[in-house]
Amino acid sequence: MYSVELRGTTKRYPGGGAEPVVALDDVDFAVEPGEFVAVVGPSGSGKSTLLNVLGLLDDPTEGMRLLDGTDVTSLSVAERTAARKESIGFVFQDFHLLPTLTAVENVALPTAFDPGDASHRAADLLSRFGLGDRLDHEPSELSGGQKQRVAIARSLINEPAVLLADEPTGNLDTETGESILAEFERVKEEGVAVVAVTHDPLVEQYADRVVELTDGVLVGGVPDGEGKAERERASRPDPETASAGDR
Amino acid sequence: MSRTDSPDSPSTTSFPDSRESSGFGDRLRGWRPAVAMAARNLRRNRVRTALAVLGVCIGVLAVAALGIFGNVLALGADDAIGDIGTQVVVSPNADAGIDSLSDADVAAVRRAVGEPAVVPLYSDNAVVAGPSEQEFATVYGVEEPGLAFEAAEGRLPERHRRGAIVGASVAEELGVGPGDTVEIAGSQVRVVAVLVESQTFSPVAPDDAVFLPESAFSAEGYGQALVVAESGEGARDAADAIREEVNAREERVDLFELAAIVDEINEFFGLLSTFLLGLGAISLVVAGVSILNVMLMSTVERRQEIGVMRAVGVARRDVLRVLLSEAGLIGAAGAAAGTVLTVLLVAGLVLATPEVDAALALDPTNGYYLLLALGFGVGVGLVSGAYPAWKAANERPVEALRN
Repeated sequence: MYSVELRGTTKRYPGGGAEPVVALDDVDFAVEPGEFVAVVGPSGSGKSTLLNVLGLLDDPTEGMRLLDGTDVTSLSVAERTAARKESIGFVFQDFHLLPTLTAVENVALPTAFDPGDASHRAADLLSRFGLGDRLDHEPSELSGGQKQRVAIARSLINEPAVLLADEPTGNLDTETGESILAEFERVKEEGVAVVAVTHDPLVEQYADRVVELTDGVLVGGVPDGEGKAERERASRPDPETASAGDR
Repeated sequence: MSRTDSPDSPSTTSFPDSRESSGFGDRLRGWRPAVAMAARNLRRNRVRTALAVLGVCIGVLAVAALGIFGNVLALGADDAIGDIGTQVVVSPNADAGIDSLSDADVAAVRRAVGEPAVVPLYSDNAVVAGPSEQEFATVYGVEEPGLAFEAAEGRLPERHRRGAIVGASVAEELGVGPGDTVEIAGSQVRVVAVLVESQTFSPVAPDDAVFLPESAFSAEGYGQALVVAESGEGARDAADAIREEVNAREERVDLFELAAIVDEINEFFGLLSTFLLGLGAISLVVAGVSILNVMLMSTVERRQEIGVMRAVGVARRDVLRVLLSEAGLIGAAGAAAGTVLTVLLVAGLVLATPEVDAALALDPTNGYYLLLALGFGVGVGLVSGAYPAWKAANERPVEALRN
């Protein structure tokens, strides 16, 4: 069973003209637990839309979406929010930490309104990412790499099935970027599926599988060749899948 | 950290609707982190928050202070005219050619009003002289002065047989008290009592009068009769009864009924209070608009933050709670400050103007205006915060996150 899966998913937006904009065109995409997939492609190719649809921030126009084997294609707003909290972690290019909250509070933010105190769990997570001495610092007192580590810790607070990262190294220097990618390695070893949308070749180096999105069409979306695109060229070997074991 | 659910768990996992909550305790618990977060957000832009709080503070001050001023005016007026509302003055109807009230008229009035005391008065005018001063005063003949008047010095006799009861102004003017002697129309009369200064306007004007026994008068009939009821209501009933029974066939008596005037005066002060309250309410509405503005600005500025909260799984309801708490806190802080300022202002007013009776300012009904203003302040905050909060909470996170 995949951690997250899209089957024949299409996303169309009402464009300026008569023709709607097709951001995702009949996409098959699946990530196994503990797999790190990098999605690459030029700007405007639909990478953000793919991440939004995977992350239950946006609904597909057509097709099916599964999370941990559960059909989550069409949920109510409240159900989607709950599902995001339970099963999906987000890491953004701009970190998106709340400036008024300390590191621990930022990590515990998804559970801030639930009964019970998650700050111990949050502090444990921060310690694991080497920020044990920065627990009560506010984001303004942290470096870029530290902020992104806080963001990763936040994404893991509810032990998600999937971690979705939008240009996670985009605002970091190479060295810090590498350290963040190393953290992703550790996250995936704990069975979390990691999907990173990126322009950064460094991310591709760390990924188990790199898929390319061009004008809403995805190539190599499914690991073992079950997808339509793979079925069409079933005889050909898939370079991405073959390289999966390298890193 | 490890994923605890087994990888081959059946696909029946459903995501609980986070909006479901059970019981009041849960609902209350949800507000605590929201209020804590709201307080920090407000501290972020202290000047803006302080200005919004100031706006509410002024609004609440206006409502509470103007409400209390109106109330104190009404209470003061009520205090001043309250007594006369319980009296009806019955006088002969000169238009019908009747010059005085006969014993039969007085008896008819007594029958008509029932319980309230009827005090018939002879009246005349005379020069009243003390040891050094003299004054022109109304002289009444009264048998039972205790029913209608109160003594400040001396004692009012149950039946007035001898001596003079002197009104407060006359006593002061002539410099006499109980035991002294005054000369009225040439005869020496001992003063037995001095009346309490009357707080009210009354056609009888007891302050400027001297009361003698009825035997001092040789007149045919009474000049007027006082009907003294327990309450304004009783006075009104008595007046109605006299109109119906004594004046049934012939308009024998004129009634000077103060209760009706008191009603109108009270009505006027009620109107004045409402008007003042309305004036205050306008400033509170202005304060509400300023909260609306502050909240709209801050939600627009924090659009991405709110989007992030929604993206990482914070429910719309909780975002709404945080933002409503912010507006509510502004309202509550402003209302509390405004209430304290009002108390200080009223206290200052009482201290600075001796005309205002402290008892009036301490009247419990003024507390009602304080509570009203306090409630309005918080309410204005919540109402003004509702729209920006609702708007921000319902924005799709995918839109809010877009740079």
